[in-house]
Amino acid sequence: MGRYAIRRLLQLIPVLLGTTFLINYMVWQLPGDPFAARCGQRPCPDAYINAMRAEFGLDQPILVQYWHFLKNLLTGDLGVNFNNVSVASQLGESWPITVRLGLMAVVIEAVIGITAGVLSGLKRGGFLDNVITISTLILLSLPVFVTGFLLQWLFGVQLDLIKPTVSPEAPFGELIVPAFVLASLNLAFTARLTRTSIIENRRSDYVRTAIAKGMTNRRVVGVHLLRNSLIPALTFIGTEVGSLMSGAIITEGIYNINGIGGLLWRAVNDHDFTIVVPIASLLVLVYLLANLLVDLLYGVLDPRIRYE
Amino acid sequence: MTEVLPESKSDGTYGGALLEVDNLHVEFHTRAGVAKAVNGVTYSVNAGETLAVLGESGSGKSVTAQTIMGILDMPPGKIASGEIRFRGTDLLKLPEEERRKVRGEGIAMIFQDALSALNPVFPVGWQIAEMFRMHRGMSRADAKKKAIELMDRVRIPAAKERVSDYPHQFSGGMRQRIMIAMAIALDPEVLIADEPTTALDVTVQAQIMELLAELQRESNMGLILITHDLGVVADVADKIAVMYGGRIVENASVHDLYRSPAHPYAKGLLESIPRVDLKGQELYAIKGMPPNLLDMPTGCAFHPRCPYRQEKCVTDVPPLHTISGTRGSACHFWREVLDGDAQ
Repeated sequence: MGRYAIRRLLQLIPVLLGTTFLINYMVWQLPGDPFAARCGQRPCPDAYINAMRAEFGLDQPILVQYWHFLKNLLTGDLGVNFNNVSVASQLGESWPITVRLGLMAVVIEAVIGITAGVLSGLKRGGFLDNVITISTLILLSLPVFVTGFLLQWLFGVQLDLIKPTVSPEAPFGELIVPAFVLASLNLAFTARLTRTSIIENRRSDYVRTAIAKGMTNRRVVGVHLLRNSLIPALTFIGTEVGSLMSGAIITEGIYNINGIGGLLWRAVNDHDFTIVVPIASLLVLVYLLANLLVDLLYGVLDPRIRYE
Repeated sequence: MTEVLPESKSDGTYGGALLEVDNLHVEFHTRAGVAKAVNGVTYSVNAGETLAVLGESGSGKSVTAQTIMGILDMPPGKIASGEIRFRGTDLLKLPEEERRKVRGEGIAMIFQDALSALNPVFPVGWQIAEMFRMHRGMSRADAKKKAIELMDRVRIPAAKERVSDYPHQFSGGMRQRIMIAMAIALDPEVLIADEPTTALDVTVQAQIMELLAELQRESNMGLILITHDLGVVADVADKIAVMYGGRIVENASVHDLYRSPAHPYAKGLLESIPRVDLKGQELYAIKGMPPNLLDMPTGCAFHPRCPYRQEKCVTDVPPLHTISGTRGSACHFWREVLDGDAQ
């Protein structure tokens, strides 16, 4: 297992190099000059554009630019953006907020999704099963921005239970509803996955054995059935962490959360690759690490899977 | 446990048999109709006795065992009538919590396919130890020691090193030994073995049967051996119940059944065993298909396949005729079958 983990970590290096190069290259391919439109109503003077291009190295070939990016990354110096504000400090402010939002969404997704899935799987065809199946269908068919605005309007405006938008520090309590919105799609999917696997495993031979061993119903379900049924749900939740982080952009927009979503949105509109590239690279890294974690966790949950 | 079982094991004062199945009827309610899987089965087993229940797939032998164990899927299964008395107490009338305590402590069961019957995600030692932890409230460490002892007892080599291994890391025979260790953990009075050797190699089959017989001698438990394989039964069984279409068609001692079967189906089964002295000749096979449980033949369920069939067989259900003592045959023409003159 340890050697497998190290090998997988080493594999991350070429993947990261490849993806970051692609990100750098593609940002460079975006149409329009990042500096041409920075002077308000009139066109920018050539002297300004040339000076800026030289400052940010845009006049150099792509490979040289990429080399500078790597060098700066390794020395921990992310430099300043086009407005001369430190990139590191901007990321430092917004990154923890998005991570908090993402983690809350993962927890909500796991706890509510798995609980709902187990309950509806155990009482298949019952009232609760129907309620859960219908509500997950609703969640699955609504795009995140619809759920987001709906809950904002309902809880924030009509019922006045929450603040419609989140304050700049994004405290835990204010993030609950946005985290639920962010989690909603995956939550519904997790519930469905868990339900299916509970129904499937309930009739399995080892569950019958556990009953024949004289185990209490609680133990049969809570230990023997659950442990086997969680594997697909946990795999799904893990692999979706990456897409959850990028999905945060929409949720952050709706609730005006100071996370990387807003930062990225503004940076893309401004063609400010000094921000776009580090954020995109970070998202890639999160995605890769989450996948690695899932693969390792999989081996722990299911001993039949062993890594050489 | 003593409060559940009417008599404790040491007293053994209960007059009747240890476990009695009495006129049991089990149905499956499906969309296609009601399948009558068990139609009035009666058998019993005493301490130290081995009852072999013989029959092909769908004969109701496993369903009867599952009903004894209380692991029948209900629905679609439904116990229509009958009693299952363990030490004189009808298990079917016990509240679920009392019933649960009988499982593992009083009656234990081993299954055909140990790979799917063992939980794939827990170590085998953990699964054996669970019996002691949950039924006897033992600590994890003590229960693990007990598990190792049991694995030694069923002769798993290097039990101490293998106690933390998972089911998939064992061979088929070793897995079945683990199932057996788990089942005998709490010294049950009755052990039900549902096709314990069907999924195994022939050589391993013999070892497992020997192990079961040996464990039975040591602990004097009653053993119900469910199988479709006559060869497995011969050496270990005291008495045999042959099932067909959810009914017992013949009750006999092993000796009697082998020497002179009294039911055409039992006779057909015996004749379809390959024999060395008849090498080169065509092997006998019972003609036709097992009965459709949704649409049972009228009269005797075996009549469409029976070489002794007469008009009476199509109309009248044969009762279980007593031939002598405990010997019985559910055939109108059992005398002719015994004499061996087929029509």
